[in-house]
Amino acid sequence: MPPSYKLTYFDLQGLAEMCRYLFSYGGIEFEDVRIKREDWPQHKDKTPFGVLPILEHNGKVAGQSIAIARYLAKKVKLGGNNDWEDLEIDAIVDTMNDIKLKLTPMLMEQDAAKKKVVLEAAKKDIFGFYFPRLEAMVEKNKGYLVLGRLTWADFYFATIFTVCESMIGEEILAGYPNLKEVREKVNGLPAIKKWIEIRPN
Amino acid sequence: MSPHYKLIYFNARGRAEHIRFIFAYAGVEYEDERISREKWPEVKKRMPFGMLPVLEIDGKAVAQSNAVARYLARQYGLAGRNEWEALQCDVLVDTLGDLKQVLAQFRMEQDPIKKEEKKARLMRETIPFYLSKFEKMLSENNGFSVGSDITWCDFVFAVSLENFEHIFGKAALDQYPALKALKIKVYNIPSISAWVGKRPTTES
Repeated sequence: MPPSYKLTYFDLQGLAEMCRYLFSYGGIEFEDVRIKREDWPQHKDKTPFGVLPILEHNGKVAGQSIAIARYLAKKVKLGGNNDWEDLEIDAIVDTMNDIKLKLTPMLMEQDAAKKKVVLEAAKKDIFGFYFPRLEAMVEKNKGYLVLGRLTWADFYFATIFTVCESMIGEEILAGYPNLKEVREKVNGLPAIKKWIEIRPN
Repeated sequence: MSPHYKLIYFNARGRAEHIRFIFAYAGVEYEDERISREKWPEVKKRMPFGMLPVLEIDGKAVAQSNAVARYLARQYGLAGRNEWEALQCDVLVDTLGDLKQVLAQFRMEQDPIKKEEKKARLMRETIPFYLSKFEKMLSENNGFSVGSDITWCDFVFAVSLENFEHIFGKAALDQYPALKALKIKVYNIPSISAWVGKRPTTES
């Protein structure tokens, strides 16, 4: 019998890796569908809003990586123990998403010279503003982003900022040992380590 | 005993209005603190990530408008009937967020030529793409964005549609009857209508 969950994305880590991590962590079997770029046009119109990733389950479809991650996190017990804890996790995930959104113009910039200028500004205004605050939160939360324990917020951080880093082409966590450690801790979880060994990309 | 809520934002609808709608609908009292532009630099330093809105619940401050809205929705029965419906609320709110992101990028564009290109693309492709998809979903779901009753997602839509009308004119929604009907439905809810009648009038 095929797995009851099907996750469709491109053959990349990108926005979907956090969801793949959550499935792996929870030991939930899932169909890990990867669309080739050249095949995307024929699939695009079949998705609810023309974007990936999408999650299919029991004949229903849902898009939006963070919404899917929040839903999966509950299933694998990486959410809050109550609504207030969920709120604290959501607040930090949305804050990290703000960082990612602010980085997008720079990440999408094609002109190499312009990109360099925007990157330098980002280091000062975006990383320079947010990372010290996140670093302090990890200090306060015993090595995790929030609630003093592992949550899907740590999974968001580990995956999304790795993607940002590879798109920027240089280390962005230098000088933030706590944040580096969050990523190492997540990637070192047995189920995640195993996933990293077998994942296609 | 009800928690003590203080919502801190600018004197605007902006990113806080859907939260105010939730409070109004639930009949929950809260302090609706509006920070003036002059006071903002000093207040900014005290906010968790230098941004608004922030909700204080019994003195504990938390940021991020949708995180706050989702929390309040859960407290007051506005998050759908089950986890999949809760997911659907999140999906639609985030998808609307994607559209708003494109709008924001257009507004932030400095280069006048690029800005014109972005505007044309928005008007010709992006806005019609999203609105017609939302329109289809609403008409296939009996006029609710999720499930069969009001959710916080309907408030997010209604507030966004009000802004849409402000920007593009009242007739702009005529070609999207289901979206228009949703906005009317929400604004006709007695508690919402009462709030809209007494809230400070602001430009955005």
